[in-house]
Amino acid sequence: MPRPRRRVLGLVLALVVLTALLTLSVMIGSTAIAPSVVWHALFDPSAHPDQFAIRDFRLPRTIVGLVVGAVLGLSGALIQALVRNPLADPGVLGVHAGSSFAVTVAVGVLGVREARGYMWFAFAGALVVTLLVLALGSTRKGSSPVVMVLAGVCVGAVLGGAREAIQLTDPDAFDAMRYWNAGSITGRPLDVLWPVLPFFAVAAVLAFAVSGPLNALALGDELARAQGVRLARTRVIAVLALTLLAGGATAIAGPVGFIGLMVPHVARWIAGPDQRWIFAYSVLLAPSLLLVSDILGRVVMRPGEIPVGIVTAFVGAPVLVVLVRRRKASGL
Amino acid sequence: MSSTLTTKRGLAVAAALMSASLLLTACGGDGDGAADTAAADTGGEKSAGTRSVKAANGTVEIPAAPRRIVTIGNTGLPFIDLGGKPVGVTEVSDSDLAVLPKEQKAAYEAAEVVGGSGGDVDLEKLAALEPDLILVQFHSNDWDKVGKRLESIAPTVLWGLDTEWKAFAGEIATAGNVTDELGRQKAEFEKKVAAIKETYGKTIGDTTFVDVSRGDWSDPGTFYIADIGCSEIARDDIGLDLPEAAEGKDPLAYESLPFERITGLSKYDVITYPVDAEGRPTEPFVPVTETSTWKALPTVTSGRALGVFCPGNNSYGPVLQYLDSLDGALATLAGKP
Repeated sequence: MPRPRRRVLGLVLALVVLTALLTLSVMIGSTAIAPSVVWHALFDPSAHPDQFAIRDFRLPRTIVGLVVGAVLGLSGALIQALVRNPLADPGVLGVHAGSSFAVTVAVGVLGVREARGYMWFAFAGALVVTLLVLALGSTRKGSSPVVMVLAGVCVGAVLGGAREAIQLTDPDAFDAMRYWNAGSITGRPLDVLWPVLPFFAVAAVLAFAVSGPLNALALGDELARAQGVRLARTRVIAVLALTLLAGGATAIAGPVGFIGLMVPHVARWIAGPDQRWIFAYSVLLAPSLLLVSDILGRVVMRPGEIPVGIVTAFVGAPVLVVLVRRRKASGL
Repeated sequence: MSSTLTTKRGLAVAAALMSASLLLTACGGDGDGAADTAAADTGGEKSAGTRSVKAANGTVEIPAAPRRIVTIGNTGLPFIDLGGKPVGVTEVSDSDLAVLPKEQKAAYEAAEVVGGSGGDVDLEKLAALEPDLILVQFHSNDWDKVGKRLESIAPTVLWGLDTEWKAFAGEIATAGNVTDELGRQKAEFEKKVAAIKETYGKTIGDTTFVDVSRGDWSDPGTFYIADIGCSEIARDDIGLDLPEAAEGKDPLAYESLPFERITGLSKYDVITYPVDAEGRPTEPFVPVTETSTWKALPTVTSGRALGVFCPGNNSYGPVLQYLDSLDGALATLAGKP
């Protein structure tokens, strides 16, 4: 089958899978609620407690999962293209560390306890740290992906240590952050989503806007420059989009790992090296992975739940090993 | 090389300081003057001899009438509740302090704080207080960390975290020589329990209850079914039909339940939930009461969700307050279907 047709067909298939998973996410939970009740809760609402459970908890959770997944997928694809490293994910640029440190300060020092309260700290932490990493990663010849990654890892390590220190001296802060640190979309009302949504929209536009130049960048700086790509501008826009995406997702759900790492590879296997297609696939495939992981987390330890970040780590770790051992990890 | 020497020198200085402090402690143990002027009177006369008490750390020889008691971990508030006036305490949470009666709060604040609630006790500060008895209840890991050093400072009585609360209160009273107040509290407890059983006997027999709660440590979007703490007293002493973990299993309270499980509470006749002294839902529990699912529960809409104040469950004083609150809550059920 010709590649363009295969790409479109794959995209339609991914959309169908995502729709099916969205439905399952609303239907499956830690309590058994009949499909007819789910139907009535959505289309013929009444004041029955089971219907409220669907509308209050499962629906918002599914929507949050959809958005956070899409954002993580796009940010993963963006950073892998930006630093030309198939094993990169948003955590590499210190985004998670920046968010976690800022949230630790908010919880441990300022006494903030609710997710709604500390999400802005997570967002600001991600932004400040990424700008710092961008500055540290800039050399006289311009910004270098390798130096940027090194700077991200270093800043992440330093902030990780500082965060640990605060948490050790304040066990209450540690308790309050335990769930957020694991990465979870449980108990996140839609209120936490609306304020960040405009940032996601802007970031998505920016990401797709630089997808063409990022294609050229994959050939190397010299060739990209020869094709008229303005390297510095492309990188700054990509980092800005990345920060808004990963910072916002982390603020809402905590540091959910592996989604941004795995999904772009799958997208690349299906769609080939064109970043525009990789981005589009990542936006559809990543929420599917996140929703599957979240559904698993709801049912395997009934009546309790496992945070989605832990499930994605279990799924992601073997995939990471495979990626590392592949000779050309889905070659960038 | 130089760093090794520095470390050795540092250790030597630290050892010397510790020895000096222990020496001072030993020398000042029965002193007079400033130390005794500041000494708290725990109700007994000046120590005239010793007696043996059985504790989790073995049989301990303690003064017959200890005068300078330091409480560590969970022993502080129960000892103060019994009328004790410790010279040293470990920190308690702001929420615990907020619900303490005025005179008990004053007794707590008059004591020297010697560290956090766990094993991070400032041993030098503790030794400087010249205690003649140390009362301890905390995790066994903390005991492994500081137990021997506490015993080197003063006779130390340890309780495990699994000690039943009535036994705990009784043993603290015996060790701290404050048994008169214990007798009064115990009699009041038995009287209140008997009164509640008699007044609400039929309701208690015919009604299924569930006690739900949420702590400030709870994960977002989760709550738990309480089967330990105050609800244990309601179940075991009053006889309320409350859910309980199966034999050998972890308490239900250790299992975080997602909010969508709130719907499952409708199978019980009455729900009890935590409120503060003014009767408002406690801050950590507010997210539960704010959900539409909670508001739509038939138990809630029919007024059979009852707020109960539980200031603590480790000694008789707070338990008596809990019983008063439970009494008031059960009274509201009268006439309801």
